[in-house]
Amino acid sequence: MPAWNSHTRDWVRQGKLVVIGIAQEQHEKRCQLFAQWQQLDWPILYDPLNVMEVAGVPIEIAIDEYGIVRNLRPRKETLAQDFLGKTYSPEGVQGASVLAGKAAQADLQALQGHAKQANKASAWRALGDALVLWEGLPRIDDAIAAYGRAIGSNPKDGDAHFRLGTCYRMRYESSQRRPADFQRAVDHWTRARQIRPNQYIWRRRIEQYGPRLAKPYPFYDWVGTASAAVQARGEQPVALDTLPTDSEMARPVRRFDAETQATPPNPLDGIQSDTQALVLSEVTVVPPRVKPEKTVRVHVSLRPNDKLKAHWNNEAEPLTLWLELPPAWQAQPQRLVASQPNQPESSEARTLEFELRSPASAKGLCRLTAHAWYYVCEDLGGACRFLHQAIPVAVTVGQ
Amino acid sequence: MKAVMSRLYLHFRHLQLSVLVCVGLCIPVTHCHANAYAPQVGQLHPDFTLPRLGDGVPVSLSQFRGRKVLLVHFASW
Repeated sequence: MPAWNSHTRDWVRQGKLVVIGIAQEQHEKRCQLFAQWQQLDWPILYDPLNVMEVAGVPIEIAIDEYGIVRNLRPRKETLAQDFLGKTYSPEGVQGASVLAGKAAQADLQALQGHAKQANKASAWRALGDALVLWEGLPRIDDAIAAYGRAIGSNPKDGDAHFRLGTCYRMRYESSQRRPADFQRAVDHWTRARQIRPNQYIWRRRIEQYGPRLAKPYPFYDWVGTASAAVQARGEQPVALDTLPTDSEMARPVRRFDAETQATPPNPLDGIQSDTQALVLSEVTVVPPRVKPEKTVRVHVSLRPNDKLKAHWNNEAEPLTLWLELPPAWQAQPQRLVASQPNQPESSEARTLEFELRSPASAKGLCRLTAHAWYYVCEDLGGACRFLHQAIPVAVTVGQ
Repeated sequence: MKAVMSRLYLHFRHLQLSVLVCVGLCIPVTHCHANAYAPQVGQLHPDFTLPRLGDGVPVSLSQFRGRKVLLVHFASW
């Protein structure tokens, strides 16, 4: 992208060319930071749902004054003579179509009426697209319902599965999150990928959160570099509303190196259990099903229960997680410690991630236990206690 | 920057592969997704409208009729 940006800048200034970027990203702010870092000065459009249905990136397409495609994947070195310097005619070209589901800042009522009347997957999907693109998080529940209707109408609608998964992840990252939103996202992305295995945009979305053995590269490790570079230019970097998770920045590995720590850091019995549910836990397994001797990445999210006004006590030892492994299972790592902010109390969600390798003998639903120990306080100024929580982790192993 | 370029290369390699697989499958049978994005040289590019990054203003390809356009699909990852 940066090379195209510098190569086309003069033509854009001279009015000879318009460059339009379309970003296949779920996180708008991350894309803004990337554009700021790379000093991309074209209009960039945001496609969090892959409504353009591109199967991979990057793709460049040269389009003439009449809207006709003249060059697929043009070369920078020859763009001037192969495209800009040519005179085109619109003769003999058929009328343009509108890409399904991308037909403008649609009239939501009309789309809803059409979806109810036609009750087709494409109509429900178009409604879901419009709700996400033009209304955003405030209508995310309606979008989820619309994509659900699309899948009800056609269970093999891969686009609807991918977009529904994206909606669940968007809701998971918001204050509207509901239990199991992230796992639902992964389940629908996985189903979408099963339906269309060669869709690399979808594949990458799962790999982003999956085990390191399956990663092609670290997805968002550039974020820190980008912010520093922007600051060094004397600019204020775009602030991210959703920081990349550990899995989104993890580097790929070629082999699984187990990190065994067979002894729990605290006694499994004797420390009071969190029977009040002062801290709520949620487990997401990526991918949701794994073959024997393959790895999964497990995301354990813990957050103080806001209904009880609970919060972390950051002046004591930090949240620790330890895995109780069945025979022949391996973990990397087996023990995790959460970082905590430099303030006495806080109530943010803390996600700890580890990877598991199933043994050759594993089959079906395998149950493991993650033990968490933490200091949590009942209310502002309330009693703080050191508690234990046994968190079930279910991994489905099969071909 | 080297890392970014190597990712772009990986994306492109995978795209090439998927196009080859798709071509291979679609000639004898039509198993490929009918609506997948596949603009053809000499054909009108389908119109679309998407929100602009930052301010959400709707932008359509058809707004740029009369101007030569380079459309760049990309991702930051």
